[in-house]
Amino acid sequence: MQTGNMVIGLFIPGDSLLHRVDPRSKIVFSFAFAVALFLVSSFGGLALMAAGLAAGLAVARIPPSWLYRGLKPVLLLALVTFLFQAFLRGGAPITSLGPLTLYREGVREGAFLALRLVLLVLSSTLLTFTTPPVMLTDGLSRLMAPLQRLRFPAYELALMMTIALRYIPTLLQELDRILKAQLARGADIRRGGLVKRARNLVPVLLPLFVISFRHADELALAMESRCYRGGRGRTARRQLRLGWLDAAFAFIMVLLIGGGIWVGRL
Amino acid sequence: MCLGLRLELDEAGLVYQPGLPFSATALEHVFLQVEPGERVGIAGPVGSGKSSLLELLAGITPPTSGQVLHDGQPVGRAGPKPGTIGLSFQAPENCLFENTVAADVAFGPGRLGLDKEEVARRVRSALEATGLDESFEQRHPFSLSGGEQRRVGLAGVLALEPRALFLDEPTAYLDPAARLDLIDRLVELNEESGATVVMVGHDMDELSRFAQRLLILDAGRMVADGPAPGLLADAGLLRDHGLEPPGTVTLAGLISRAASLPVEPFLTEEQAVEALARIMEGR
Repeated sequence: MQTGNMVIGLFIPGDSLLHRVDPRSKIVFSFAFAVALFLVSSFGGLALMAAGLAAGLAVARIPPSWLYRGLKPVLLLALVTFLFQAFLRGGAPITSLGPLTLYREGVREGAFLALRLVLLVLSSTLLTFTTPPVMLTDGLSRLMAPLQRLRFPAYELALMMTIALRYIPTLLQELDRILKAQLARGADIRRGGLVKRARNLVPVLLPLFVISFRHADELALAMESRCYRGGRGRTARRQLRLGWLDAAFAFIMVLLIGGGIWVGRL
Repeated sequence: MCLGLRLELDEAGLVYQPGLPFSATALEHVFLQVEPGERVGIAGPVGSGKSSLLELLAGITPPTSGQVLHDGQPVGRAGPKPGTIGLSFQAPENCLFENTVAADVAFGPGRLGLDKEEVARRVRSALEATGLDESFEQRHPFSLSGGEQRRVGLAGVLALEPRALFLDEPTAYLDPAARLDLIDRLVELNEESGATVVMVGHDMDELSRFAQRLLILDAGRMVADGPAPGLLADAGLLRDHGLEPPGTVTLAGLISRAASLPVEPFLTEEQAVEALARIMEGR
């Protein structure tokens, strides 16, 4: 029951170059990087982008143990993708394992898809590792600000995201407490069939909901008592400014993404 | 009647997020033995590791180093045997989930495979012990006041009739009369059932009323462990670790200064009367 060990969009405090890049630059180029991953169709291009990502991880001084934590949930998916492709894609058979046949093209395609998936997750993890959640939503809301004219609630959306991010660790902590307390009362959430297990979750989930609603109530009250009246005309204490670092970052990213697509255009 | 549980920590330590940039040491090298039926208070400033120590002793949080033993047996990662411990965190009312008070209190004993009459008996006696009469049984937990919900939450733990009870600041947010009442009920429960009771508290007056033995923590280390009356009378020790001595001890100090006489620090009314009588004699 180690809920405290989860890495969900966790930020690693630091002062690396990558930490200091404007969140807007990082968001735009992570998005471009992700799109480019899908435009690249050869191992060469993917390798180039992987090298770029590795350099970024090194610059940001992300401990390897954290990388593994960030990747853990997607590794299984990558493995399943690889196995499906390797055995079911067809092509030139390599060897047979009982009723299953391993195909050359399948292995190649499977490895490619799995690598793409891992790179995709790693790149977005690098963004959240190097950007505090508040900066992330700041950047997002600034990027979406022009849409406000089209009545798109960019500011409200950003606020919702900030609040959601802020409360993930709080709720995880509450969950940990409730779980321990109910386990001590004999709750059993690990045994039984699907229906039984779902019913056994009630003693844990219901209190968690009650607490969430209470948090929401208290937060709304606290915001109102501080005269919060929505986003219009609000100024930010933390001003985002683009500088030479962002220019350098943009230059490198354009080279990396452009290079990746050019090498991998096959 | 149930026998209390013997608790042991063998060089236990607890580190949160071990090996990560955020890792924080909550407790270091704690050796501790709690005898069956003992009433132990845990005190210390905020962030000293009180709650962590409680969770380790309860066996509900595995230590990152060392061992936790219940009755001499190491507690595994799966936690203590069901029904042996009762655990109440700072806000036990956060764990309410059933539609009626009685059903919520019955949840724990209901999972122990007891027959219906026994469950009903335990529900009744647990509610009684927390000062809630029969009229509460069929009410919805969320229709009660905060203090009443706290009592229901606590009753849900007591109904397990555990061999060891672990409480984290059970009196927080209760009014003064309810605090003393709860402390007295816990002492009574300990004396009647013989269960080991460990309580984290921040109020030295309450701890002086409750604890036979006191543990003082500071920055993840055990700085004092001994009979509660002696430690609580040591105003210097308490202040060194950011704690406020019991009101009576402070009062004894004031009287001693006003009368320019040495006055033994007192904790109970009888001791106060004795001390004052001695001063009067001296006059």
